Amino acid sequence: MARPMNDDEVANEMNKMVTFIKQEALEKAREIRVKADEEFAIEKAKLVKQETSAIDAQYDKKRKQAEVALKIAQSTQTNKSRLKLLQAREGHLQDLFGAARTELVKLPQDKERYAELLEGLVLQGLLTLMEPRATVLSREADLQLVQSAATRAAEKYASLTGHAAPEISVEATLDKDSAGGVKLVGAANRITIDNSLDERMRLLEDRMLPEIRTDLFGANENRRFNN
Amino acid sequence: MAAQQSQGIQTLLEAEKEAAKVVQQARAYRVQKLKDARSEAEKEIAEYKAQKETEFQTFSSERSGSTQTSQSAVDQDTEVKLAQVTSSYTQRKNDVVKKLLERAVLVEPTLHPNFKAKTQ
Repeated sequence: MARPMNDDEVANEMNKMVTFIKQEALEKAREIRVKADEEFAIEKAKLVKQETSAIDAQYDKKRKQAEVALKIAQSTQTNKSRLKLLQAREGHLQDLFGAARTELVKLPQDKERYAELLEGLVLQGLLTLMEPRATVLSREADLQLVQSAATRAAEKYASLTGHAAPEISVEATLDKDSAGGVKLVGAANRITIDNSLDERMRLLEDRMLPEIRTDLFGANENRRFNN
Repeated sequence: MAAQQSQGIQTLLEAEKEAAKVVQQARAYRVQKLKDARSEAEKEIAEYKAQKETEFQTFSSERSGSTQTSQSAVDQDTEVKLAQVTSSYTQRKNDVVKKLLERAVLVEPTLHPNFKAKTQ
């Protein structure tokens, strides 16, 4: 039979219990702290990673935008440069045509050659019309020249085609500002052939453009097909 | 005898109280730690962002420098080409004008290819 404890034993037991309580508390506290540290680290890492990814994406996007802007700027530069060049060439071309037109009005001054030219122009017109009757329009100043040229042309027409020489009436109704040449009207005013020097020059300006380009500025290096 | 007993219980109760305090402190520590996680994360994030920003700034200032140089290079190139075009033009202009005039007076009256002479 256990005897009741004496004072010392009681005190001992008390101490043991107190110590035990303290120990348990310390253990629990330590667990809590350790876990807290772990959670701290995890939470911090998670937040940092989240935000840094977002920031990286942001800056990537900015970078890409900058690159695109750069490309656009470069392309605009090149484009502007090309346009400048083309404008310069166009300006030169207009200058050329202007010079040609100024020279054109001087042509009728060589009377012999002009008379020959008129004959050829009328003949060309007659051969295109193929009509028995035609009206030739000339400048006032050229009236006589054209009349004689027309007669010669009609004869040549007859010999070339075997038809009778067409009836030609010459009217001095061509524009005063015209550089020269003739117009022909036939088939009861339904067909007009503009063989004036201005019109011929205009046609040449248009049709000779590729040749003029090569003559003035050299062949196009970027062109791939030349047939 | 009763006094002794109540004293013992008192001691135990106090011990429990102390124990509870210790645990409570630990819990407070935990709460604080969670807050710290947030604030420290924010600090790191801000640093990161600042660093990225400076990187980007250097990058873009380099870029703008290169744009300038390329612009002036293109401009120079354009000027050279323009001068070439003009000199080429002035050289060849007269020849082309002559060519145009020659062709303007070049008349070759020909019969139409389908023309059939009347057999008489």
